[in-house]
Amino acid sequence: MSEAAVRISGMNKFYGRFQVLRDINLEVASGERIVICGPSGSGKSTLIRCINRLEEHQQGRIDVLGTELNDDISNIDHIRRDVGMVFQHFNLFPHLTVLENCTLAPTLARKVPVDEAEATAMTYLERVRIPEQALKFPGQLSGGQQQRVAIARALCMKPKILLFDEPTSALDPEMIKEVLDVMVELAHDGMTMLCVTHEMGFARQVADRVIFMDKGEIVEEGRPGELFDNPRNERTRTFLSQVLSH
Amino acid sequence: MATASRTDKSFQPGKSAAHPMVLAAWLRRRYFRTPLNSAISLLGMAFLLFLAYHALQWAVVQAVWISPDGTSAVCRGISGACWAVIQQRWRIIIFGLFPYDEQWRSMFACLVMVATIILSCVPFFWKPLRLSLLWSGGFLLFYALMRGGVFGMPLVQPADWGGLTLTVFLYAAGVLIGMPMAIAMALARRSEMPLVSKMTGGLIDGVRSLPLITILFTAALIFPFVLPGWLQGDKIWRVIIGFALFFAAYQAEIIRSGLQSIPVGQEEAAKALGLTYWQRTSRIMLPQAFRNALPPTINQLVITFKETSLIVIIGFFEILASGNAAYGTGEWSFAYFEVYIFVALVYFAFVFSLSRYGAYLERRMRFGQH
Repeated sequence: MSEAAVRISGMNKFYGRFQVLRDINLEVASGERIVICGPSGSGKSTLIRCINRLEEHQQGRIDVLGTELNDDISNIDHIRRDVGMVFQHFNLFPHLTVLENCTLAPTLARKVPVDEAEATAMTYLERVRIPEQALKFPGQLSGGQQQRVAIARALCMKPKILLFDEPTSALDPEMIKEVLDVMVELAHDGMTMLCVTHEMGFARQVADRVIFMDKGEIVEEGRPGELFDNPRNERTRTFLSQVLSH
Repeated sequence: MATASRTDKSFQPGKSAAHPMVLAAWLRRRYFRTPLNSAISLLGMAFLLFLAYHALQWAVVQAVWISPDGTSAVCRGISGACWAVIQQRWRIIIFGLFPYDEQWRSMFACLVMVATIILSCVPFFWKPLRLSLLWSGGFLLFYALMRGGVFGMPLVQPADWGGLTLTVFLYAAGVLIGMPMAIAMALARRSEMPLVSKMTGGLIDGVRSLPLITILFTAALIFPFVLPGWLQGDKIWRVIIGFALFFAAYQAEIIRSGLQSIPVGQEEAAKALGLTYWQRTSRIMLPQAFRNALPPTINQLVITFKETSLIVIIGFFEILASGNAAYGTGEWSFAYFEVYIFVALVYFAFVFSLSRYGAYLERRMRFGQH
């Protein structure tokens, strides 16, 4: 077994006195695909945001790609370059073109020459099937197109881990598939992925492991087949019946 | 951006009204719908024509433009404007007390400064290197021309600079020094270090609580007593620093409002890509902050241009004070109205261009918003 991409042990996180995450222990192997689900407010987004330190944890230890996350800023910037993130609301830079969105970080943070960064960006834009939009601004694209650009932007940094924070939740139904298709392809290419999502079909199709969270705790985890078809915990059962009933 | 803005021409009332038939219909609909409506419209038009007629009579038809003998005798007993005062005294208005034989230098210096300002409004120069080269070149040339003492040009001390040239220089230097100060203050006030943000907040609020006149007064007259000699510099530079500080205190808050209106996701996305604080700030945050805060920024630039007139209080003859001097001789003292109209037109030309430029920037930047 290869070295763990992410190792979280005994991690607690508080907002003031309110505890958002409770005794989290999680190990993600390199190349593993993990789906995190759970009711709203269960701390799933907070958990993956701790992995690239958009949120700080107060207790316990987080190691990402062999480096411990602490207050060392240069360490954090270094880790973040290797950990891509895709957000619910895309968060593309509206004042830059699609191509500039994709080349900005490689040229600045990785010091890749501009023409090389542009070539890489076009490769990934082709992979997410929107190379023809490269010179447009994000505001001119549909939600689904913007999210695919956001995925390409993350890929341009050649990350070792990709975090997805509810990537399809802000999309109109007809655009969800185009984004999920791209994510499935990535999964098949062996990218290490942690996805917070309610797309159970996606979880069944690609996840090696599904983690169910509730009230800041990891309640249950297992292969998607086991967890969805034979949930052991009562809370998991309630949640799944609500999500799958319609 | 350029390709996109071409498609953005959906609504243009001016174009459709240009056709005579359309114009007639539009006039009828807007101004002559009912008899009362027509009566009010006609009355209003008659009044406007009356005003325009008298203004034209005074300013053009009855006006005297030239004084052949250099005295004000030609304006005696006329009922129109005495523009001869401008013809005779324009050098004082534009150049102030600058030595007469050297005034060509002041003219070129003024043109250099205006050209530098105009060039830095062109997108081609919007690169840090080009912009700094342009401004260093512009200031160096301006300073060499105005101060002299090089290439055989006699030395002219800044105390003798004046008129429009001084106004433009003070403005350009004040904004150019004030803008980086404003950016630094806006960023410092948002700092996560409480001491830094509190102190910057105190500085901004402190400066804003003082009238500009007191700041200029302090810079010009009090600092010489307080500061060691080597730190004093010329009076003009102390005034420019004071002026810049005042501008920066207001502009810092404008930039901060622009920063605060950026969705949090923007900075998070930049962080998640591994960009450092300075990379995030310079490439993601500040460009969007300036775009968000463009209207109040133009507003502040306009106000600042007009505030340059306050430096007369510490003995600099900028354009308004030079105007006062222009009619201040017994010879022309009756013609103050004409002089003020002339000065007002100069202010208008600058400020109106600035406003139109702001409108152009807004159109240009409309794209790319979500």
